[in-house]
Amino acid sequence: MPLYEVEKSTIVLDIGTAYTKFGFTGEPVPRSIFRTQVKSKGQLRSLLDYQDSQDLYDMLVDFFHDIYFKYALNSPKDKPIVIVESLLCPIIFRESVAKVLFKHYGISSLLLLSSHLVSLATLAVETALVLDVGYKEAVCIPICYGLPMINAWQSLDLGSCSIHRNLQSLLYEKNSGAESLSEWILEDIKVRCCFVTKRSRAEQLSLSKPELGPCPEVKYPVEGNSILRVTGTIREKAYEILFDEDNDHLCLPTMILDALMKVNVDLRNQLAENILLIGGTTMAMGFKSRLKEELLHHMKEERYRKLNIKCFKFHASPSKENYTAWLGGAIYGATDWLNTKALTKDEYFEDNRLPDWSDLKYNTRRP
Amino acid sequence: MSAGFLDIDCVKYACTCGLLKTLQQLYFCRYCSELRCTFCVSHEVDSHFCGKCCENLPSAEARVKKNRCVNCFICPSCRQELSTRAASKQPANPEESKATKRTYYLSCLCCRWSSRDIGLPDQTAATGSWPKRESIHSNRIQEIVSMYKGLQEKEKLDKEFFKKKQKEKIISYTDKTGITAAALRKRIGLPEDKPILKPKNAVKIVTPSKADENIDDFDEEVLTKSINLLEITSIDQRLLQPDVQPKEISNIFPIQKILSIKRSLRCRRCEHNVSKPEYNPNSIKFKIQLFAYYHIPEVRIVTVEPLRAGQACELILKFTNPTQHQTTVSFLPFDSPIEVKEAIPEEGAISQEDSLEELDKSSLTPSKKKSSSGTKLMSLVDTHITLTTSRSSARALSPRSIAESINCTVDIPSSTFILPPRDDAAEYDDFNEVHNIQDDKKLVVWRKSNKAYIKLVVTPNEDMPIDTTVTTGFTMSHLYTNTIASVADNKKPQKFNHNMRVILKLGKSVGLN
Ligand SMILES: [Zn+2]
Ligand SMILES: [Zn+2]
Ligand SMILES: [Zn+2]
Ligand SMILES: [Zn+2]
Repeated sequence: MPLYEVEKSTIVLDIGTAYTKFGFTGEPVPRSIFRTQVKSKGQLRSLLDYQDSQDLYDMLVDFFHDIYFKYALNSPKDKPIVIVESLLCPIIFRESVAKVLFKHYGISSLLLLSSHLVSLATLAVETALVLDVGYKEAVCIPICYGLPMINAWQSLDLGSCSIHRNLQSLLYEKNSGAESLSEWILEDIKVRCCFVTKRSRAEQLSLSKPELGPCPEVKYPVEGNSILRVTGTIREKAYEILFDEDNDHLCLPTMILDALMKVNVDLRNQLAENILLIGGTTMAMGFKSRLKEELLHHMKEERYRKLNIKCFKFHASPSKENYTAWLGGAIYGATDWLNTKALTKDEYFEDNRLPDWSDLKYNTRRP
Repeated sequence: MSAGFLDIDCVKYACTCGLLKTLQQLYFCRYCSELRCTFCVSHEVDSHFCGKCCENLPSAEARVKKNRCVNCFICPSCRQELSTRAASKQPANPEESKATKRTYYLSCLCCRWSSRDIGLPDQTAATGSWPKRESIHSNRIQEIVSMYKGLQEKEKLDKEFFKKKQKEKIISYTDKTGITAAALRKRIGLPEDKPILKPKNAVKIVTPSKADENIDDFDEEVLTKSINLLEITSIDQRLLQPDVQPKEISNIFPIQKILSIKRSLRCRRCEHNVSKPEYNPNSIKFKIQLFAYYHIPEVRIVTVEPLRAGQACELILKFTNPTQHQTTVSFLPFDSPIEVKEAIPEEGAISQEDSLEELDKSSLTPSKKKSSSGTKLMSLVDTHITLTTSRSSARALSPRSIAESINCTVDIPSSTFILPPRDDAAEYDDFNEVHNIQDDKKLVVWRKSNKAYIKLVVTPNEDMPIDTTVTTGFTMSHLYTNTIASVADNKKPQKFNHNMRVILKLGKSVGLN
């Protein structure tokens, strides 16, 4: 980046439920990725475990204090900031973020960007179906010519959190004491030992007597005094929760198909051939090939016969999936949007609140 | 938590913002004469430095270096600082040169990881020569950014052109010659003649990403090969290198250490510093430090009788005057109102501040400059007023109510007591203490130099269960001598009463005997 632009670079944040991505506009990689938590009342707490608005406000003050003085090393006053957020972000959270930034830190302007929409910028395309699988939920939104098809969006409570719960109950069958494992140990076991297996193997494993040899077992040491048996079956089955249909016959692949059902017929094929996966959970080994297998399998079902889609194609963004949305924000933030579309201090103090998503002035087409 | 003489946590002062802090955690703005804490002052980055090698970097340089030290690295395995180790290499051919060559590598003294583990060749210089890695996608992303920038510029031009065009239309319709070419074209159904727009620089459109049908993200080997956990990175190790996020330990790479900063703290109301450190990273001193500990009488709990529900008991507190001026302390009920000064500084206050410029030059704000420039046009004055109000409403934090409930009442004494000024020499003078202070013997138990031991009577609430933490509080009013104004105007020091709420945790209640 040229020197004169370094001076102007602005903070870009993507505050995820589990991890926060932090960096500057115009840069290709976030500077840091860290857990979304703050030290509050003497303990580490997740930012999203707030009790009430005052509690959230105090935690956000501490959180942004770390952002500015531990990571950005920059005074916040009279400077802009770019925040990438999910469309499902709770209103109280958005409002509190704006209040803390404008009132407590005195920033000059705030550019809020939708994570699904900006992720497309990393590909330089305008039409794609974006599936974000994060910690708490999976959200699927088709985007056509730069416009999010809000009426077609799908969301399910599937993500790292449900995988961890599944892994925990699988571990508990084989190990006593597994019920007290912390979220971080479960995450570590998932990341280092587990993978998304093939559809054919998953079908066998769900039978009472599978006719295949399991993959090797891993002995996982916990806190230096006990050993957890992570059997081959556990390693392969941890992610299955994403592909098992729930009581309403919904799962990750049906979200994509249901979203396609809700868009215009002549857009369906184009979207199916432009799928973008974002969010850390999609980085698991075997995830993409399994998702494709499942999509093709579900296509045979009666409910999706109308779709008439022959193939599914997936994009590869110039990033790791867990920071694709951040990168989109870093690209948008480097353009003139930062000056023309951001909410300024004066606009905010006019009525002391954020405008709704629907009437945000920047909720329009591409830059 | 038991109430003890050395336990300072059991006495809390309510900051102006409503948070409860110990006296040691509070600041005192001498210009506003109000308590401040780290929550209600504004923080600013003062200087950048490396916490390991203590190198000082100007902030522009720190920014260019991405806030990282060039010479110091942290361990990619355990995040501790890496140390540079020297190794001497024997020349391959002993006859060639007799001098042994010194080479350097990085090693972690905590987890024994070293740069040799990943096959990084030793360096010939101790600092500054370690290879840097760029993201493999940076060129592509740079192209995308320039494309979006260009497209925006084009759109802007389009809009301007459209506006101009509309103007022309209006003019031409009112033209005396009647129908215009554009209107004519419209009438006969021809499309409007749109000239091709030429942005200053043609936008270089990057090739859009192409989606692929074939995915190959499953490694068959995982089904048969057993894994060694020690060779696989944890999520924390991966996230230390966001661009690569290596899965294998063999791919981790030394991380440049993030710089540290020194902060200065500024009062939000008057914009004066309450704390400003010295620039040198080796120095732990401050240029400005307005700790409340130097201005506000300190309260400590000495003894308290066993606390029983509904029974009065005796509480002895020690008060210490830290200032060079005699003060008078009086007690008010806990709930008595405390006046909080307006958020907008008055005109008089500004002129006073200006004369103190040499103390703190950076305190001058744009709006103040405007007022002193002296243009008295009505409209300008108006804008100035809206400017200050919007600014101050932006900056002022509304105080919150105190998050502690009082379950024990204090009999507020009607008499006051005096605390003499601090005299460092008197500390060594154990004998011959003569003071002719007329004390209310019921209130003051004992006194020595600038300290006084005060007896209060407290009564825990009637309905309090056993083993409840007893919390009591009062409003302390002390005569404060402000020397700031006297320095500036050669006036007499201002004296006024400063009130604040003090909350005491006396310990657990016990049963009746
Ligand atoms: Zn405060
Ligand atoms: Zn250093
Ligand atoms: Zn180490
Ligand atoms: Zn002040």
